[in-house]
Amino acid sequence: MGAINLQQLLAETKTLERCPFPIPTGWFFVDYSDTLKAGELRNVQLFDQEWVLFRTEGGQVGLSDPYCPHLGAHLGHGGKVVGENLRCPFHHWEYDTAGFCKKIPYAKVMPPVTKKQAILRTLPMAEKYGLIWAWFDPKCEAPTWELPHIPEMEDAGYACTRRGTWPVNTAIQEIAENGVDFAHLKFLHGAPGIPPAVVNFEKHIIDINMANGYIVGRGYGPGLNVFQFTQEGISATMISYTQPITAERSQMNMSFRYKDYAEGSKELHISKKLVDHMIGAAEGEESAGFESVDFIVWNNKKYRPNPLLCDGDGPILQYRKWFKQFYTAADEGTLAKV
Amino acid sequence: MTEVRVIGRDGAERMIEADDGSALMDSLRDAGTGVEGTCGGACACGTCHVYIDAAWAARLPARSEDEQMMLDAIGELVEVRATSRLSCQIRVEPGASGLALEIGPVP
Repeated sequence: MGAINLQQLLAETKTLERCPFPIPTGWFFVDYSDTLKAGELRNVQLFDQEWVLFRTEGGQVGLSDPYCPHLGAHLGHGGKVVGENLRCPFHHWEYDTAGFCKKIPYAKVMPPVTKKQAILRTLPMAEKYGLIWAWFDPKCEAPTWELPHIPEMEDAGYACTRRGTWPVNTAIQEIAENGVDFAHLKFLHGAPGIPPAVVNFEKHIIDINMANGYIVGRGYGPGLNVFQFTQEGISATMISYTQPITAERSQMNMSFRYKDYAEGSKELHISKKLVDHMIGAAEGEESAGFESVDFIVWNNKKYRPNPLLCDGDGPILQYRKWFKQFYTAADEGTLAKV
Repeated sequence: MTEVRVIGRDGAERMIEADDGSALMDSLRDAGTGVEGTCGGACACGTCHVYIDAAWAARLPARSEDEQMMLDAIGELVEVRATSRLSCQIRVEPGASGLALEIGPVP
């Protein structure tokens, strides 16, 4: 590296990109399970392209490339769920959720390839926490890890139906980088000081412990983060599942959960305040949640692949190195920019 | 150009000229022999099925897995012989003169 080259730094401003990142590989939220009924299909924009989301009569969920491998008709415009298959409107070829062609109503002989392999690209799917998930990999490889058990979302004894969704004009890597940028918590969010923090990276998992257990977060790949905020021994949990919509646009989604405390109890009051604090400005809190302060930065910044960092900045570079593992199809040139 | 002796489905024999370097199916189709070649060489339709003259069958490269699967599939509906080939999988080589075949049945 060596010393900063001022000429380069100034010239770079014009060539810097806002989002030089590919769409990362991982499990990503698609939609809430209860919004997709059996037999229903709709078009969704995700991972920088359009997809057809459908649920079979038997309840299986599928997410397929929109264009029929036969003659290119859009399966989400006039297509239909028929039994366990998605049927193309053009010639009624049918595909299952794994992308296998199950029926060509007029062919005397099914092309042998249809028995050997999927011919329509569909993504591996999961339904967990009441959410529909898709495994996106630009190289169409199978999932390399499973979604974790989240007690707050899956076990009895937890409550709160509060959730939110926020569009943001940047990429996931940029959003999550704020999780290891401890100095901005003081200056952008107005926290009383730069909190002490410990970060660990292990395979697809990142662990963050901020302010000695006040915020304990774990990220599972690029599409799922679980943060516990604890105050006076009471915890509330933010489950964050951001979607890459295009290379430069993401949709942040969050669910908020805490223990099923009695109405009117002090515990419930603290839990609710913690959730308020996660999102925006809470009563009696000096610092502000992401909603009030982060977007102005995210929506307008450019990405500096070679930033000038100082002590107190947090493990930004380690985070970026860890995140690179999710760019599974990127070439050297792309990786040099991220 | 390579001359190929073709026996049609009606039993009539004729000579056609096949383009060197191209798939035999293309020349059979263009010569109006009844070969359709609908899928364009993907081993997906079986409409270019031919019986290669026994003397020549052994001289051709072996069937690929995809070709074999398509022949197996049409074999449930029409007669497939040891000399059966999908003509889309046979490249016309200069010097293949004397190649002879019969247009095969299709589903």
